[in-house]
Amino acid sequence: MSIVVLEHVSKEYRLGDHMVRALDDVTLSFESGVFLAIAGPSGSGKSTLLNVIGCIDMPSSGRVVIAGHDISGQTPDQLASLRARTIGFVFQTFNLFPVLTAEENVEYPLLQMEELDKVDRRERVKEMLELVQLGKFAKHRPSQLSGGQRQRVAIARALVTRPELVLADEPTANLDHKTGEGILALMRDINRRYKTTFIFSTHDKKVIDAADRLVGIEDGTVRILGVRKEGQWAITNVARRAAATTDTEAAAPKR
Amino acid sequence: MLSFLERLIPVHRREQLEHAWFLARQDLMLASRNVFRQRRRTSVSLIAIIGGVAAMLLASGFFEWNYDTMREGAIRARIGHVQITREGFAEGGTADPLRYLMAETSEDRKLIEAFPQVDTLAPRLSFTGLISIGDSTTSFAGEGVDPEREKKASGALTILSGQDLSGIDANEITVGQGLADNLKLQVGQTVVLLANTGSGGINAIEVKVAGIFATITKAYDDFALRIPLKTSQRLLRVTGVHTWLVLLERTGQTDSFLDKLRPLLKTPGLSIVPWYETAAADFYNKTVSLFSKQVLVVKLMIAFIIVLSISNTMMTNVRERYGEIGTLMALGDTRAKVLRRFLAEGAVLGFAGGVIGSIVGVGAARFISWVGIPMPPPPGMANSFVAGIMVTPGLVFEAIFLSVTTAVLAGLYPAWKASRLNIVDALRHAR
Ligand SMILES: Nc1ncnc2c1ncn2[C@@H]1O[C@H](COP(=O)(O)OP(=O)(O)OP(=O)(O)O)[C@@H](O)[C@H]1O
Ligand SMILES: [Mg+2]
Repeated sequence: MSIVVLEHVSKEYRLGDHMVRALDDVTLSFESGVFLAIAGPSGSGKSTLLNVIGCIDMPSSGRVVIAGHDISGQTPDQLASLRARTIGFVFQTFNLFPVLTAEENVEYPLLQMEELDKVDRRERVKEMLELVQLGKFAKHRPSQLSGGQRQRVAIARALVTRPELVLADEPTANLDHKTGEGILALMRDINRRYKTTFIFSTHDKKVIDAADRLVGIEDGTVRILGVRKEGQWAITNVARRAAATTDTEAAAPKR
Repeated sequence: MLSFLERLIPVHRREQLEHAWFLARQDLMLASRNVFRQRRRTSVSLIAIIGGVAAMLLASGFFEWNYDTMREGAIRARIGHVQITREGFAEGGTADPLRYLMAETSEDRKLIEAFPQVDTLAPRLSFTGLISIGDSTTSFAGEGVDPEREKKASGALTILSGQDLSGIDANEITVGQGLADNLKLQVGQTVVLLANTGSGGINAIEVKVAGIFATITKAYDDFALRIPLKTSQRLLRVTGVHTWLVLLERTGQTDSFLDKLRPLLKTPGLSIVPWYETAAADFYNKTVSLFSKQVLVVKLMIAFIIVLSISNTMMTNVRERYGEIGTLMALGDTRAKVLRRFLAEGAVLGFAGGVIGSIVGVGAARFISWVGIPMPPPPGMANSFVAGIMVTPGLVFEAIFLSVTTAVLAGLYPAWKASRLNIVDALRHAR
């Protein structure tokens, strides 16, 4: 089953007296468990696409179905609850809560889950911090952590609710190369172990090479779809209109 | 206790309540951390709140001191906490005082004096007559008192010159300041008192002026004289008294004492009047209700100033945290929750400011009271006085309540604004 389904999704912004098309008739679907990179030049619509998938932005037209939920017509509170339970976010700027310690940051998304008691929460937080190798830094505030460590805490926070989908908008852009690679390796490892779907945007070649699916966009339209099999990319160039019914899997010609 | 709770609230309701309580604690914890993290900004807001709360406490504490002094002064100078008389004395007593005599002592009196909260019971005989010295004669309102017991019951009566009455049978009087001025009386002079007797005749006695007194009520001092009880009974040729004046340990005990006393008294036809229902307390009651309105205006003005001076910083607080707000919402916090978070920060700020402001206010009140506030004689009263500031627990509670509501109010718009942010726009501010 596809965890993300976009059908003819467009997003327009009014800029002064002309309209900017950030997304132009995008049709895509991704299956559960992929490790997918969205690539494209600056201003191509990567963030907009991720925001729509993450239910923090609404498309101007088209249909969006996330983990079986059609998001059109949902109230802000319903969307909030959908985000809380099925989507994890990792940000380029880490976005940890500065007044909370690492473990409190990780615990935060669990607080609204009534079904978890204190013991459950503590266990999960501990497990997550171990997973991102920050067990020793549980009591540290974000200001006492390096960029890479902060992003690890953010990943732990995104994963602690056991979401089906983790979205990361340029997760390594604020990190040096080595640290960025570490973060990618960590996400890749989690993706393999827990089958969590990861979708991240980037314009870094090295980051793209860590993915197993690729969506290349330009000017708000899908131009390239890629599938990596045994280390080799199978790339499909998508003609402007032909993209309409394309699935990443189906679109990739088997070699 | 727990089984009682279990029966009262079904288990699933209790779990909901526990969760709500858990969330509220979480809100307050987060709010206090956020408030105290922004040291500089918080201290700017705190100073405004502390100043407002302290000013409010000083203003209301000053009025409280005046109410208290006025009330205790009236009670201890003349009214007592409870007055027991024959029914109808309050209305008809001035015209025909001798019709309302009651026993000086009785079973009931012993019963009252046995109450632990009763400080003293002072019998009084009220009458009017004429006082003359040389060629001058004027009317007076006299009170026959037991000097021994009046030491407590008339604590707020000041002897300006000479001394107080020396005994229940002494042939002397003390005279109110206004009355003494009127007759140009000197301590040690002998005057003649003339009054109607119980049997319908007229009697006169010669007494010595032992002292001149003043109370806080000028109208009273202009006509009043005090005379030992036995001497007044001799003048009027009667044996009874008009009033048993009951003085309690504390004014706050009045109502509970009345409730206990009423069913116990045996003498029929007695009227039991608490201090606040006496005609003499009328002035006090009216003054309090008038000034309370004025103090209310002052409080509202202070609240308004607090709102004005902190709402700006609270808006800045929200504006600087757009990124954080966007993150909260992306992680699944609802608008209501974001609103609550920021309101909680206002509440924490208001509470902290209220507590610190109260400490500052109480300290300042102590200091100012120690220095003293010189006051001119108020209308209707005889002398200038030195006022103080009295901050009661009730006032402190009120001030903290007001600062919390005010701060929450000031944060209402910024918090609402925060809860309505567009998530994507807000996230763009993250650094
Ligand atoms: N709130 C907005 N108002 C107006 N135009 C917007 C808004 N948000 C995005 N756009 C426009 O939409 C287009 C796509 O923006 P988007 O942020 O998705 O690009 P991006 O691929 O993420 O770029 P970058 O690599 O620089 O992050 C851009 O032309 C941008 O100017
Ligand atoms: Mg972007």
